[in-house]
Amino acid sequence: MSAYDHDTLGRLIAALPPAPDGWVRAAQELPAARRGIDGIVNRAVADAAYRERVVADLESALAEVGIEPTPPILEELRERFRSV
Amino acid sequence: MAATTGSDAALVARCRAGDAAAWNELVERFSRYVYAICTQGFRLGEHDAEDVFQDVFTRVYTHLDRLRDDEAFRPWLAQLTRRTCIDRLRSGGRETPMEEIEPGDLDETLSQLDESLAIHDAMASMTDNCRDILDRFFAQDESYRTIGEALDLPAGTIASRISRCLDKLKALLEEATPPARPEAR
Repeated sequence: MSAYDHDTLGRLIAALPPAPDGWVRAAQELPAARRGIDGIVNRAVADAAYRERVVADLESALAEVGIEPTPPILEELRERFRSV
Repeated sequence: MAATTGSDAALVARCRAGDAAAWNELVERFSRYVYAICTQGFRLGEHDAEDVFQDVFTRVYTHLDRLRDDEAFRPWLAQLTRRTCIDRLRSGGRETPMEEIEPGDLDETLSQLDESLAIHDAMASMTDNCRDILDRFFAQDESYRTIGEALDLPAGTIASRISRCLDKLKALLEEATPPARPEAR
């Protein structure tokens, strides 16, 4: 590591600004989102009408169980439905 | 900026055991690092960076079991983020052409981000006040007045407090890494 003068320290601290709050929150909610996806998939396996509704509108299905439909979450749900 | 405690390995082990608080802490501890790799290292636009950011943490969560050595979490995360950024740049509809990023520049930026992460780790062991002041001033680009109002301190004392906190941080870092001695003749 280089010498720790004030300018260097300031520059190094500044190099890691916070990520947007919403991004951090969405990442922190991933475990809950995974549980929500499991719930949607299990229900869809048992209920054909529900499955049809979910496949037609994945974003609404996620929103119904309180999950923000980020692209990776949507992709995962799509992937799960492909293999059901 | 929240204080974080414990080693990466211990945190990873707690995450693997399903500890929700540990997952929150892991995201908090590394969110800036992943964000910086996306936006500074690979110069991704906001939209691409957000997708990569979420994708990286999704992969961390789902693939944590594949990590062979919990002590190696940081290099694993860095590699995962690099790969995800590269995949994004190579995919259609990217915002930044791959050709604009020079490999030498990228390596230098990533190396600086590793050093910055070490500095932020050291800051985590400082008092709340020092940590907050330094983070707000340098990383969040807040004015003396904003910092003073947020921390209930006279704005006129912020500059001297920053200087004292930097001295403390410098001492902390030098304590952790003693300077090399000149060779004996």
